Amino acid sequence: MSDINRLPAPFGRLIDRSSRVTFDFEGRRIEGFKGDTIASALCANDQWMISRSFKYHRPRGVLTMAGQDANTLVQLPQEPNCLADKYPAEDGLKVKAQNYFGSFDSDMARVVELAHRFLPVGFYYKTFHEKKKSWKFWEPIVRAMTGLGAIDPKADFHHSYYDKKYLFADVAVIGGGPAGLAAARAAAESGAEVVLIDENAALGGSLGYARFDADGKRAPTLLNDLVAAAEGNARISVMTGAICSGFFTDNWLPVIKGNRFYKLRAKSVVVATGSIEQPAVFRNNDLPGVMMASAAQRLIHLYGVRPGRRAVILAANDDAYGAALDLLDAGVEVAAIADLRAAGSLSPLAARVKSRGVAVRVGHGVSEATYASKTHISGAVLAPVAGEGRFAAGGMSVACDLILMSVGFSPAGQLLHHAGAKFGYCPQSHMFHPTELPAGTHAAGSVNNAYDLDAVLTDGRRAGLLAARDAGLGVGEVPPAPAEKGNVGRTHPWPIFPHPRGFDFVDFDEDLKYHDLINGIADGYDNVELLKRYSTVGMGPSQGRHSAVTSVRIVSRETGADIGRMNVTTQRPPYTPEKFGHLAGRVFDPERRTAMHHRHLELGAQMMPAGIWWRPGYYGARQERDAAIVREVKAVRENVGLIDVSTLGGLDVRGPDAAEFLNRMYTFSYTKQPVGRSRYVLMTDNAGVVTDDGVACRFNDEHFYVTATTSGVDSVYRQMLFWNAQWRLDVDVANVTAAYAGVNIAGPKSRQVLQKLCTDTDLSPAGFPYMGVRMATVAGIPARLMRVGFVGELGYEIHVPASYGEALWDALMEAGKAEGIRPFGVEAQRVLRLEKGHIIVSQDTDGLTNVWEADMPWALAKTKPFFVGGRSTEIMAKAKLARKLVGFTLKSAGDPCPEECHLVLKGEEIVGRVTSAVRSPSLGKVVGLAYVAGGDAEPGREFDIKIGGGKRITGVVTKYPFYDPDNKRQEM
Amino acid sequence: MSTIAPVSLKRRSFIYRLLAAEGAQFGEINGGAVPLHFGAGREVELAAARRLALADLSVLPHVGFKGKGTVEWLTAQGLTIGPDSNKAYRQAGGELAARLAPTEIFLIDSLAGTGALIGRLGSAWKWAESAPRPAQGYPTPRQDSHAWFMVAGEFAPEMFAKICGVDLRRDRFAEGAIAQTSMAKMSAIVIRADRQGRDGRVNAAYHVLADIASAEYLWSCLMDAAAEFDGRPVGLLALQDLEQ
Repeated sequence: MSDINRLPAPFGRLIDRSSRVTFDFEGRRIEGFKGDTIASALCANDQWMISRSFKYHRPRGVLTMAGQDANTLVQLPQEPNCLADKYPAEDGLKVKAQNYFGSFDSDMARVVELAHRFLPVGFYYKTFHEKKKSWKFWEPIVRAMTGLGAIDPKADFHHSYYDKKYLFADVAVIGGGPAGLAAARAAAESGAEVVLIDENAALGGSLGYARFDADGKRAPTLLNDLVAAAEGNARISVMTGAICSGFFTDNWLPVIKGNRFYKLRAKSVVVATGSIEQPAVFRNNDLPGVMMASAAQRLIHLYGVRPGRRAVILAANDDAYGAALDLLDAGVEVAAIADLRAAGSLSPLAARVKSRGVAVRVGHGVSEATYASKTHISGAVLAPVAGEGRFAAGGMSVACDLILMSVGFSPAGQLLHHAGAKFGYCPQSHMFHPTELPAGTHAAGSVNNAYDLDAVLTDGRRAGLLAARDAGLGVGEVPPAPAEKGNVGRTHPWPIFPHPRGFDFVDFDEDLKYHDLINGIADGYDNVELLKRYSTVGMGPSQGRHSAVTSVRIVSRETGADIGRMNVTTQRPPYTPEKFGHLAGRVFDPERRTAMHHRHLELGAQMMPAGIWWRPGYYGARQERDAAIVREVKAVRENVGLIDVSTLGGLDVRGPDAAEFLNRMYTFSYTKQPVGRSRYVLMTDNAGVVTDDGVACRFNDEHFYVTATTSGVDSVYRQMLFWNAQWRLDVDVANVTAAYAGVNIAGPKSRQVLQKLCTDTDLSPAGFPYMGVRMATVAGIPARLMRVGFVGELGYEIHVPASYGEALWDALMEAGKAEGIRPFGVEAQRVLRLEKGHIIVSQDTDGLTNVWEADMPWALAKTKPFFVGGRSTEIMAKAKLARKLVGFTLKSAGDPCPEECHLVLKGEEIVGRVTSAVRSPSLGKVVGLAYVAGGDAEPGREFDIKIGGGKRITGVVTKYPFYDPDNKRQEM
Repeated sequence: MSTIAPVSLKRRSFIYRLLAAEGAQFGEINGGAVPLHFGAGREVELAAARRLALADLSVLPHVGFKGKGTVEWLTAQGLTIGPDSNKAYRQAGGELAARLAPTEIFLIDSLAGTGALIGRLGSAWKWAESAPRPAQGYPTPRQDSHAWFMVAGEFAPEMFAKICGVDLRRDRFAEGAIAQTSMAKMSAIVIRADRQGRDGRVNAAYHVLADIASAEYLWSCLMDAAAEFDGRPVGLLALQDLEQ
């Protein structure tokens, strides 16, 4: 029978009765309405058991209807651990319960409950602390039994689109109940731009379901007025269904709504998150049919669902009587109210209840919920209270299918905790409450210990005005905090009635019973923080929302500690679980492409990353990698090749002191460098460690164009700015890396090709010699030309404005067709430069390499007084070299080519490593660079290299360049 | 202005392939191909420019000057530059001189793209023949270091909020304001430069200047962020129409 428990309108303010939804729960067809949650639809269909508990697999149903507990965690095909009392009922959903073996109704793992005596508190500590071998026995059992929900990686898994968005506000108000609505209105009327955030589907908070007067008329009227005022105010942006999951420094508030993660920064914040109704502890207080009074009221008013047929209410405050009236109005028989208080209630609500014939048993409590079926309660045992946590004899059984708990509240103060607020215990109200708030943060409503509706509204207005003032707005006089907050008499100091036969739960998430905590304290964990970690109380999905205060009470009584000096355990973000999708959002992964990027792809290049740049590794199919590289090497050695070097760093250093500046930044000397020439640059840091290299091209007295490595240029630029901030030389440094596209056309026929496109410059060896630089025009494009020899052949680097890069590439490829020009990639370039023995800083050097170890004293100016790292370099010259970079070949031509970072050994001692090695296509043998022991660097010395598989081969120190040692080819 | 293929010109936007794939029709300005429209019809693109639209202006003239003496030299050349940094100053020809720092100017042309002022400055700035050389700053190759996009339309601030942490809403980010910030995890310069129609209607518009090498990446991020608001690429004509 569907919708058996559905109440007629006007009950159910959130559901749309004109729109049906149908879904599947454990194979059962469930009908609901749009606006229902999964749980409300299940309850409407008389399906009260929604899931199973974590440890004992006990049946569990609705507890809060507010997403505050783990009782309603269900499994969806794409997502585990969905809160059924928050997740919208949608057409076609396939919902399953969690934590059961076999059938949901007859869970085989229920047997664990029978063995509860053998699963003591601190089970993990006791079992594994010293008996580590027992893990082998327990591991498969623990792995099979634990865990919440399941993800099937083989299922038809759909990636969802998640993203992030920034939000800005003068005032953020978190919580859209009466306090939040009043605060938002007051702030907005002061001129503040307000963002009002509420985790529920609609604004109103307790006004939407709670009963504040006997007639039940005040809340609906106030709700309509406040919501209309908020939604009609242009300065208030309302976000419903949005959870603020943390409160970080400088009012940084993460807000989750749907698949979007908002990053809200507000000038001030009002936290009006309300309070969380607390359970009572009695036997079987966890079974379906036992719920918070507020949960029943939510079912009735928000979803139009009758929460039961015959109810017992466990009361310790006047709110219980409001709930009783709601039950009566919804057609639920109220069999009895057991009021823990000796004096009962004199409120108008209680008077109305009594006038409607409900039996009120003052000074009584519920000692036990009983059940006939295994899935729902069928009665309550009422007993007279004999003292704190004790019943007198003489209990009576009352048949019922619903027990409501209305024994008190605790502030939903998690966000305030995150913000650094201090909390204290109020001995009059028996509740914790904020006692000290950070600047710019305000609390209002029941999170601030205000419960009386008028006090809540006043408190909200006060907080809103203060927040507006913190945001820099003029607000006039701010009313004081309400003198009478209505907090006393809301919460019972000890609603805890342990039962001799147990199953009196303190923590529903972790199936922790009263005596589990007692035993944990007896084991020595007599502090709430220690007890939490030992017993896992408060460590489940609901993070102690219903167990933290009870734990404090129990520890206080057992240890004699003054509860007034105690606090609940630390509450850290996030307030609710955050999905990885929310945290990841839309992935922003910047990348840089050269102007010729698409030309490389069109030519079949295999691209490789270089920092965030993409560079062509080689041109051709992956399976023909080695052949492609050899082809490209040969093209450069024998003909002409073209490589994209746009990623190379470029810095314009300009000004009267430009040469002096370079003199200080680099190891060489630049003051006398002729215009029209380039010179090698080698950078060291203060410790004398080699950090970068390149060339400095002097285009006029005051203008150097300095190149740097692809990965190093940003650091070089920063270093230059850093140092000149101190030196204050008259020089300007501009990082123009991206502004110039560059190619290196290299090979014996490179001049022949370039001449076709560059007619305004004498390219002859005499007119444009090796290491010369020119401003020229290539293919009609203004260009910076450099004769360089990184690959060891006649070659020209051509740097042009980046927007012209592709056109330059096109022109050179076209011009070189007759010569058979071939593009070459980074892999071939690495081979070519290694044949010439040119180092790559950061591959052939590391974070400790100095000039002496790199065997580069030739790059040191002998006479200049200073360069960065000069003093360290000077000192290290006198020290014994522990290692030195050398060229090497292999003793045995048949040995495999070592790889980078293969170890260099002296006996069994590691003395160095291979930094680069390749089987040279040009030389027909392995050549490489390696660090060897400082005393073993003479040519001809042999050393051991430990290659893959632990095999040792012998390297022979060899002078380099390996190829064209007289440098004739690059100087052609 | 006749349509033209981007590869027929030597100066090319880094994203011309993306634009062509969206149906861009190009015209020649400043030796490069700028998208004039996307074939959707003038009214459609104008409506998009009022709602949310992206345009690539990368080939239009833009240049930088920085270093000691920059502002003095530019002022001597006839530019009007106020004292505040992070503010763009509109020139007589519609160009914007964006003062990024006390001694750094990023100069972008008007949407006419004639390059008259930038061309004149390019000719005027020369290395002095001999020392001591005057303090006149140094030109920087912003034309080729920075892609130039315009984001127009009332939903632009909301779209920016998905990729940029600066509050760019119109009541918080004034006309001419500059944000040197991070956008989609890369550095970007944002300048608010509304387009005012002859009827007095003010249309929200922002210049976005960012690393040319990441132009494809940033354009894709902007398009992705704009999709939620039915944002689309438009040509230069639609932006010019905003001022009709």
